[in-house]
Amino acid sequence: MTFFGLILRQIHARPLRALLTAGAVAIGVSAVVALGVLTASLKLTATQLLEVGRADFTVAQKHTDDLINSTISEDDMAAIGRVPGVSRAVGALISTDNYNADNPLLIEVGLKPSDQEPFGVDILAGKSYAADSTSDVMLGYVLAKNIGKQVGDNLVIDGNTYHVTGLYSTNVSFGNSTVMFPLSKLQGMNRLAGQVSLGFVQVDKGASIKDVAKRIDETFPQLTTIRSAADFGRADRNLTLISAANTGGSILAAMIAITGVLNTSLLSFFERIREFGIYRSIGWTRRRVIGLVIGEALVVSFAGAFIGILLGWVTINVLEQLRQLRGIFVPTYQSSIFIRSLAFGMIVAFFGALYPALRAAFVAPLKAVRRE
Amino acid sequence: MSSRTVDAQDCAIVARGLTKRYGQLTVLDGVDLEIGHGEFVVLVGPSGSGKSTVLHLIAALEPADGGELIVAGQALHRHARGMSRFRRREIGIVFQLHNLIPRLTARENVEAAMFGTHRGHRERTDRATELLERLDLADRADERPTTMSGGERQRVAVARALANEPKVLLADEPTGSLDTASADIVLEIFAELIAGGTTILAVSHDARLNAHANRLVPIVAGKTEPAAP
Ligand SMILES: Nc1ncnc2c1ncn2[C@@H]1O[C@H](COP(=O)(O)OP(=O)(O)O)[C@@H](O)[C@H]1O
Ligand SMILES: [Mg+2]
Repeated sequence: MTFFGLILRQIHARPLRALLTAGAVAIGVSAVVALGVLTASLKLTATQLLEVGRADFTVAQKHTDDLINSTISEDDMAAIGRVPGVSRAVGALISTDNYNADNPLLIEVGLKPSDQEPFGVDILAGKSYAADSTSDVMLGYVLAKNIGKQVGDNLVIDGNTYHVTGLYSTNVSFGNSTVMFPLSKLQGMNRLAGQVSLGFVQVDKGASIKDVAKRIDETFPQLTTIRSAADFGRADRNLTLISAANTGGSILAAMIAITGVLNTSLLSFFERIREFGIYRSIGWTRRRVIGLVIGEALVVSFAGAFIGILLGWVTINVLEQLRQLRGIFVPTYQSSIFIRSLAFGMIVAFFGALYPALRAAFVAPLKAVRRE
Repeated sequence: MSSRTVDAQDCAIVARGLTKRYGQLTVLDGVDLEIGHGEFVVLVGPSGSGKSTVLHLIAALEPADGGELIVAGQALHRHARGMSRFRRREIGIVFQLHNLIPRLTARENVEAAMFGTHRGHRERTDRATELLERLDLADRADERPTTMSGGERQRVAVARALANEPKVLLADEPTGSLDTASADIVLEIFAELIAGGTTILAVSHDARLNAHANRLVPIVAGKTEPAAP
C-alpha cells in the first residue's frame, strides 16, 4: 500500500464525509466559475464595442457610468476628424429599447449611410435607409433571424412602425444582433440632436496611435480615448463594479467552502482521535499525520472542484436563458477560469483541513491508546 | 539470577527510580529494571500496579516524571525530539487493547507501521503478508479487525509490532486471548526472536508464556521488588 493508497482507502471508508466535503468545495467552485465566466463574458461583450468600426481607438465622454450613456457632439466629432494624424472619425449613437418579452434589450445604432462602409457594415440583403428617412431601418442578420423578419417586412419598436430596407453584418459578432437607424432619426427619438455616443477613430497610415490619441485627450478635456480593454474598464464604471462583485463573490465563496471543509474535517477529527493516536504510537511523525489529513482533503476537494466546474457550467447555461441577460451575456469560456477553479478548490481544501490536521498531529499517542 | 547487576552498556533497557503520576495519582513510584540484550523478561503483578504504564514509558509514548530510562541506547527520561523515529525503528509494541485501526484491513494495519522506513510499498505489502502468514492469518489478511475474533486481533497486533524488526519488543498480555494453538505460534516466534538477539519485555499472567521467560519481575503498587529467591 502506498501512502496515496492509504489516503484513498480512508476516503472510501467514510463516503458520507467525503461527499459533504466535496459538496462544500463544489458549491464554492461553481460560484467562482459562474461569476468568473459571467464577468469575463460581460467584459468581452462590452469590449467588442471597441472593435466595432475597425477603429484604432474609440472616443467617449469622460466619467460616464456606462459607455452607452456617453455623449459627444457631432461638432466635436468633426473637430476630431481634423486633428493631425486622424484619417477618419465616425460617430455613432447607441441606445437601447425593449422589443418584446423575448428580446427585452434591443441595441440600436444610429449611423449615417455614408459612415456605414468605413464602419465595417456589410449589407447582405436589400439596401440602406436614406440619411433623412424617419421610417426605415436595417437589421443585423442575427437579430432578423431571431425575430423572424426579412427585407420588406414591417417592425414595431416602442409603438412606431418601421420598414426593413436591408440586412447587414458587421466585423464584430455583437453588431449582428443590433438594429440600425439613420443617425438623425435615432437622435430625434432620444432627444439628442447633434449628439453621438462614441467616436471611432482611424489614424493615418504610419501615424502613431498613441500620439494621436494623446493629442485628442489633450485637445478635448471632456473626452477620453479608449485603446484597450483595460482603458475600457477604467472608463466604464459598471464594468469596474462587475469586476469588484466577482472578486467579492469569490472571496465569499472561498469562505463558505473553507468553513464547509473545516466543519467536516473537524467532525472527522473527533471521530478519529484514537486512530491518530495509534499512528503516532506506531512511529508516525506529526508531519505524516498532517499529510494524511490534508491529503484526504485535497483528493476529495479535487473531485469536488470537478463537480463544481460542472455545476458552474450548468449555472451559466441557466443564466444564459435569463431574459434580462439575453443579448448581453454570451458565455465565453477561458481555460484560465478552470485552472483557477481547481487551484481555488485545492487552496480551500488546504486551509479547511489545516487546523484539524494540526489537531490530529498533536494527539498524544497514549490518549488514544488508553481509551476503551 | 535475581541479584545480578549488568553494566548499562550491555542493557537493552535500563530504568532507575522511574516515577509517573497522573494528577494526584502516583502510578509508578520507583521502578528499577536492567534487561540485557536478547533477554526475555515478564512483568507480573496485580491489576492496576502500573505494568502497562512501564511498557508505555519504555515505548516513549509519554515521558516519565522522574528517574532515568535508557532504551536501546537512547535516554528517554528527557523526552526529546525524534521520538517517532525511536518508536518506529527501535521498538515494537503489542497493546493490551490491540489498538488496531478499525477501517483498515489486517494487512493494511501491519503495513501502516512501515511508512517512513526503508521499505518501498511492494516490500511493505510483502512483509505484512509474510508476517500474517507466520501468525496463521493468511486467510484473514484482507479482513477488518471489526470482523475478527479477539485472538485474531491479538495476532494482527503482534504482526504489526514485528513489522520493523524491532530491537526491543514490548508486549502487553500478548497471549491473553489466544487458544493453545495460537499461543504456541506466538511462543515459537518469541523464541526465534530471542535466539536472534531481540529483547522482549512482556506483561503477562499466562503461565504458558511465563514459563519461557528468563525471569519474572514483580511490580506491586508502582514499585519493582527484588524477585523472591
Ligand atoms: N492516562 C491515565 N490517567 C489517569 N490514570 C491512569 C492513566 N493511565 C493509567 N492510569 C492509572 O494508573 C494505574 C496503573 O495502570 P496500568 O499501568 O494500566 O496498570 P496495569 O497494567 O498494571 O493493570 C491504574 O490505576 C490506572 O487507572
Ligand atoms: Mg495493563
